[in-house]
Amino acid sequence: MPKPSVRIENVVASVALGQPINLSKTAEMISTVEYEPEQFPGLVYRLSRPKTATLIFSSGKMVCTGAKSEEDVKKTVKQIVSALQNKGIIKDGKPEYQIQNVVASANLYAEINLESLALLLDNVLYEPEQFPGLIYRMAEPKVVLLIFSSGKMVCTGAKKEEAVKAAVDKIYAKLADLGVLNLKGKTA
Amino acid sequence: MSRRELVHNLSVGEKTVRTPICPVCGSNNIVHSGHGELVCDNCGTVISEKEIDFGQEWRAFTAEEREKRSRIGEPLKPGMTTGMMSTIIDKRDINRLKLDAQRRVDALQMRKWQMRSRFQTARDRSTSQALAEISRIATPLKLPDSVKEEAATIYQKAVDAGLVRGRSIESIVAATLHVACRKFNLPIALDQITQFTRNQNKKDVARCYRLLVKDLNILMPVPDPVSYIPRIAYKLGLSEAAQDKAREIIREAQQMGITAGKDPAGLAAAAIYVVSLLENNRKTQREIAGAAEVTEVTVRNRYKELVDRLNLIPVVPDNRIV
Repeated sequence: MPKPSVRIENVVASVALGQPINLSKTAEMISTVEYEPEQFPGLVYRLSRPKTATLIFSSGKMVCTGAKSEEDVKKTVKQIVSALQNKGIIKDGKPEYQIQNVVASANLYAEINLESLALLLDNVLYEPEQFPGLIYRMAEPKVVLLIFSSGKMVCTGAKKEEAVKAAVDKIYAKLADLGVLNLKGKTA
Repeated sequence: MSRRELVHNLSVGEKTVRTPICPVCGSNNIVHSGHGELVCDNCGTVISEKEIDFGQEWRAFTAEEREKRSRIGEPLKPGMTTGMMSTIIDKRDINRLKLDAQRRVDALQMRKWQMRSRFQTARDRSTSQALAEISRIATPLKLPDSVKEEAATIYQKAVDAGLVRGRSIESIVAATLHVACRKFNLPIALDQITQFTRNQNKKDVARCYRLLVKDLNILMPVPDPVSYIPRIAYKLGLSEAAQDKAREIIREAQQMGITAGKDPAGLAAAAIYVVSLLENNRKTQREIAGAAEVTEVTVRNRYKELVDRLNLIPVVPDNRIV
C-alpha cells in the first residue's frame, strides 16, 4: 500500500521591515525589479534562486510568494533585505516574517468514491455541476482540502509545513476508515 | 388538576396537548358532545359547557359561494410572518362597489395603516422583498410552490443567521432557490437560475450558495444524473423506453465509479446520446448538448468514457460517427 505523497507547491509569507521604503529609488538602483506605479502600487522583486517573487510596498511591508518551503522564504527575505541595505535604501532592521498560507498537492494513490464520501463526511461541499472536486474543511489542523476522484488532492490554508502532512495523513486514515478508497487504483 | 386549568389546557392550543383527565372519576375518556360541551364518557360529568365553536357559521355549496363567504385569505405560507396576512382592507365593498364618501375616507385610512403596520421589523420587509424576488425568478423556471416555500424558509433562516446583510437580496434568493431545487432533487442547474437574475452573476450566486450550505448546515444530496434524463429526453421527444435505457447506463456507470466529479447534466446527455445511437434514432451531439444546456465537448467526452468503460458498442448505421 503506497503511502500518500505530499509536495509543497507554494508558501506565502508576509514580511514587515518596520520602516518606509522609497520604491522609485529602489527601482532606479536595482534594475531587476518591476515597478509600475500606474498599474500596481507595489514593486515586484523576482529572485531566481530560490525562485520567488516578492511584492514590496512603500509602507515597508512585503509579501513573499512562490517559495517551495519555509526555508526558501527565509533565504528570500535575507537576500532582499541585504540587497536593500547594500544600496542604502533601508537602514539596518530586523525583518519579521510570518507564514500566511501553505499550498500543497498530494496523491493518495487510490481512487476515491466522491459520491459516498460527500454523504459520509461533515463540512463538505460536493458540487459536480460547478467543480469536479469535493471541498472538505478540516477543523484541526485548519486547512481546506480539495479532493478529486483520481485520488489527488490540493491542501490549502495551512500555516505550517507540518500541518499539511498532518492533514493529509489524517484524511487518508479517515478515508480508509470510511471505505471510500479503491486501492487497486489506476485500472485504465 | 383543577377544572379551570383543565379547560384552559383544552381550549388554548398548547404545543404539547395534555390528555384531559376527568376531575371526578379520573378517566381520560373525554368527548366533545357536539353541543358545545365537554363530557366525560365514563361517568357523565360535564366538564365544560358553552365551548366556543371555531367552525364557520355559513355553508357554501360551490367554490364560488365559498370564496364569496369566506372572510379569510389563503393559508399562511412559510416565509410569511403573522403580520403579513394576504387579506387587505379594500376600498370597495363586498360587491366591489364604491363606498360612500365618508366610509371611503375611513377605509382608505384603515388601508393606509394596515400597509404601515404590515411590516413590524426590517426583517419582515426584506422578507417580503425576497418573496417577490423568489417568485420572479421561479416563475419562468416553472418551479412548483413547494420549492418556492422551501426557498422562502431558507431565506428567513439566512436572515436570522445574519447572512444576508451586505449581500444583494437577489443573489441570496437565487442561492436559496438553488438549495431548494437541490433538496427536492430537481434538475435545475445554477446557470438556469442565474439566467433570470438581473446581473447574471453566477460567481456571486455560487458564493452565496456555498455560504448558505456552510453556515446553515444544510445537508445536500449529491445530484443524481438520472434526474436530468426526463427533461432532456422530453425536449428531444424520446420514448419512455429510451429513457429507461439511459437510466440503466447511468446506473452502470455509477457502479463503475466513473461518474465522480463529472457534471450530472453532461452525464445524462451522454447517456441519452448513447441510447439514441443504440436505438438507431440518432440525435446529433449538438441537439443533445442544446437540450441539456452543456457544451458539445462535454457530451463527446462523457460519451467516450461511457462507451469505453461500459463496453457499449453502438450499432453504427453509417460511419459518420466520431
